Amino acid sequence: MSSSSAEDIPEQCKDLFTQDGVLLKSCIGRSINELNSIGMLCIVQNADSTKCVEWRPNDLITIDSDTQDQEWAVVNTIGRRQRTLSGNMTSDYATLRARIIKIPLSELKTFRVSRNNQQMQFSTKPGVWQMSFYFQHGNAEIFVAYLKNHVKTAKARNDKNTYIVVEPNRETQVLNKSFAELDIFTENPTDVVWSLVSNLRQRPYETTMEAFSKLTDIVYYGNEAMNGKRDVSEEVADLLTKSMSAMEDSTAVTRSDEYEVISVKPTLPPRPCIPRYALYYGNEAMNGKRDVSEEVADLLTKSMSAMEDSTAVTRSDEYEVISVKPTLPPRPCIPRGTPLSTEKWDGLQDTDGRVTEVEGVKQLIFRGGVAHSIRPSVWKYLLDYYPWTMTHSEIKNLQRRKTEEYFSMKLQWRSMTEGQESRFSEYRERKSLVEKDVNRTDRTHPFYAGENNPNLIVLQDILMTYVMYNFDLGYVQGMSDILAPLLLLLGNEVDSFWCFAGFMEKIAPNFDMDQAGMKQQLLHLQQLLTFASPELAQHLAQKDSGNMYFCFRWLLVWFKREFSHRDIMRLWEVLWTGLPCANFHLFICVAILDTEKDILIGKDYGFTEVLKHVNDLSMRLDVDKILSTAEGIYHQIVSAPHLTDQIRVILGLPTIGRSHTEDSHSDTEDKEASPKAECSRTNEASRSNATTNGNGTNQRVLFAPEADEYDRFIWPGEHNSNYIKTAKTLYIRIFVRWRHRLVSSPTEASTAKTLTYICPVATPTSFEPNGGFNIGSGTVLVYFGATGSVTLEYNGIQISVVTKTVWALLA
Amino acid sequence: MASRKKVLLKVIILGDSGVGKTSLMNQFVNKKFSNQYKATIGADFLTKEVIVDDRIVTMQIWDTAGQERFQSLGMAFFRGADCCVLVFDVTAPNTFKSLESWRDEFLIQASPRDPDNFPFVILGNKVDLENRGVSAKRAQQWCQSKNDLPYFETSAKEAVNVELAFQTIARNALAQETEAELYNEFPDQIKLNANDNARNRDGDNCAC
Repeated sequence: MSSSSAEDIPEQCKDLFTQDGVLLKSCIGRSINELNSIGMLCIVQNADSTKCVEWRPNDLITIDSDTQDQEWAVVNTIGRRQRTLSGNMTSDYATLRARIIKIPLSELKTFRVSRNNQQMQFSTKPGVWQMSFYFQHGNAEIFVAYLKNHVKTAKARNDKNTYIVVEPNRETQVLNKSFAELDIFTENPTDVVWSLVSNLRQRPYETTMEAFSKLTDIVYYGNEAMNGKRDVSEEVADLLTKSMSAMEDSTAVTRSDEYEVISVKPTLPPRPCIPRYALYYGNEAMNGKRDVSEEVADLLTKSMSAMEDSTAVTRSDEYEVISVKPTLPPRPCIPRGTPLSTEKWDGLQDTDGRVTEVEGVKQLIFRGGVAHSIRPSVWKYLLDYYPWTMTHSEIKNLQRRKTEEYFSMKLQWRSMTEGQESRFSEYRERKSLVEKDVNRTDRTHPFYAGENNPNLIVLQDILMTYVMYNFDLGYVQGMSDILAPLLLLLGNEVDSFWCFAGFMEKIAPNFDMDQAGMKQQLLHLQQLLTFASPELAQHLAQKDSGNMYFCFRWLLVWFKREFSHRDIMRLWEVLWTGLPCANFHLFICVAILDTEKDILIGKDYGFTEVLKHVNDLSMRLDVDKILSTAEGIYHQIVSAPHLTDQIRVILGLPTIGRSHTEDSHSDTEDKEASPKAECSRTNEASRSNATTNGNGTNQRVLFAPEADEYDRFIWPGEHNSNYIKTAKTLYIRIFVRWRHRLVSSPTEASTAKTLTYICPVATPTSFEPNGGFNIGSGTVLVYFGATGSVTLEYNGIQISVVTKTVWALLA
Repeated sequence: MASRKKVLLKVIILGDSGVGKTSLMNQFVNKKFSNQYKATIGADFLTKEVIVDDRIVTMQIWDTAGQERFQSLGMAFFRGADCCVLVFDVTAPNTFKSLESWRDEFLIQASPRDPDNFPFVILGNKVDLENRGVSAKRAQQWCQSKNDLPYFETSAKEAVNVELAFQTIARNALAQETEAELYNEFPDQIKLNANDNARNRDGDNCAC
């Protein structure tokens, strides 16, 4: 190894191969200041035709390119180029030149690749690694492949990552080898194809360029190698195919966030590759018989089919056979109806004012919403302020009672003295939060606009009174968004309060302290999307977006931020009907996402782009179109013959004992970021737990069916029902009954259920105070949900069930 | 310059509800202020290109909801952060007291490689208001006690110190980014004592 200075720059040197994104990590004899700078690693042919591995810092390359042809100003990931160093060197340049590191190939003894192709070390003396480099793109294997074209190596016996240089110069041998033998790919061809495909997905730009540069090498340098062998042409075609498709990808997608915008041109070799190639193989074509592109296309087709054949064989061993997924029935286009009119509404009440056809009314509202003029009246029913069956006079009484109740609650906080307040921090915090949010809720709407707007005071009073009405929940951000349209429509403080309380009752889980309700909905949304639009669900999962967090705002305030006041009123009244199924608001999400599917997938949006795109949809959505699409998707799903229990549970339908696992969508569920995946990970943990405390058998935690009258559950992520058959059975039967609706505090919940168990093999060791019990080293906890659902938790894994009887099976 | 990979700096703004996170972000990115920003639900981000030491870097500034219960969802957004900006309201001592827990929460959720040296920048916002509840001295003392965190007194409303603060944020984030790049795969690397050698390789004009 030697370092060069300004004086000894060779007049002419040739880069045989360059690879950028390479950091100098260590180098004996170099100042610490020189380390950790980024640069490129090259194989260089000196003027005297000796060769060396050379690392040069990027700063130098920048200067270099400034002084040269602009075409070379942009340095691509991997490329081969010829370059003459020009004169005109500044002293900076000289200093930078001094930082170049050269290792003559004649001195190179060993090199080693490690850390997942991210690190490469070189040695010119046995036993000491003189320098090491860090490959930012994790593609050191490519450098090695090229290096092996210039030196003959053998792998060290004790370490397969270490290469020992046997013959420093053996280029001619290399050139006589066929393309396939060039060691461009160290793995077998099938692996190459697969790694290329996966690389393409992750970093299309570089992968394309890798493929191109490999091709270029052969064309440019491998002339002698190509003695007209047919297999070479196939190889070339192969690479072309990959490059072509990759090119399409990389040009369609804007990668400006991650990469410099680089035009393709400078990355191409000086001489276009296809004509060069045609020179050797396309003589006839060149003579005018066929177009070169036709010739290439021909080769492409052949090689593609050959590739498919070969991969099919190897794949059967390595990959799971993927069954054909059942498709959904066609989506019906369901037109929206007209809003419930005053006449119809009047006609649906009897002479005393009772609403007679409640289901019919709800159907009408679901179909077309409510005419604006009667909204104030109808909403009170929809939000459970007025019971449908009450007469006019009963309602008058109710109003009186509710008005009194409201003002007595209001008085509680209004009469609080300053002194009291100063000693009541929880109250103070809530009050301060309310004040802050009221001042920034829909202030652009005329109803709330302007300084000292009296409607803001009403908004604040209602929210403060709600704090007293439900102190445990208090005020949570988002509530002011929920209330604003109600007050805007109803105008009246008391009515608005009770309607707000009714709305809150419907969405209370959104505001859980631990956000369990939101997490559950995000999970359900992901499951629903996987069923309705597996392609999109898979895309999102691949982009770290399987957790669906980008839908958080939609769900928390039921799309309030996405629509104008007029539109949100329509959407909400439709959703309040509870038709056509439970959780129809999730179908709204699916409908919006389905509408955006082509963009999200087509533009290959990642985590941040998806979030941005979804946030930017605000105020650009068509409420009627979305409602229509959502209903269409609902009908598609509900009539699908393969409708699973998982989806049935979300829809509030009785389960039928079909697990969600019989099709192969588990791949999207096992992604790291999905809420489900967290369960899966814990599941793994609990499995190992179970293994250690069991009787030596490999135990798995499953929820399994017993008989048809019971609902059946299989542990999420489990996709093989064989475990049930082979289980060394350890049964736990839990009978769960509940007497009333959910209560958020655990103490109340435990009074609301009875819990028994049958345990033929193992016996739970003790009951937990909050309604769970211990078994083995784990505790099964039982939680009661708002809609009568029950959640069981074992060692941190949760499964949600809507059933009275559950089987837990430890297999 | 042209050959360098574009640098993306991920910056997270945290702090109690209503301290002015969204306003600061918008003042910096869009040079605008409004009294009427809605409370942030979920998360959002804005990007802006800035020049740090002659390098063009893109700042991706993340704004999340301030109410505590929503933080359990923050994790997905904190990942890969290069700098964390903690904001409090100089007129509200409670928001100042929360800084400590915001800092801890961030370190737990984002779990950066080197928590002791992860760059935080503290902003005392709303200095345009008269009813100050936290003195500059008190804030500075706290920042000093926390490994000398940079502290700025800002007004998103009147654009006081916003540009300067974000310049520092960008610079510190860039240092973090470069270090992460360098050390990520090399836990056994000798630690450079010279303060951020890599950051200064383009010049020595960084004095923070």
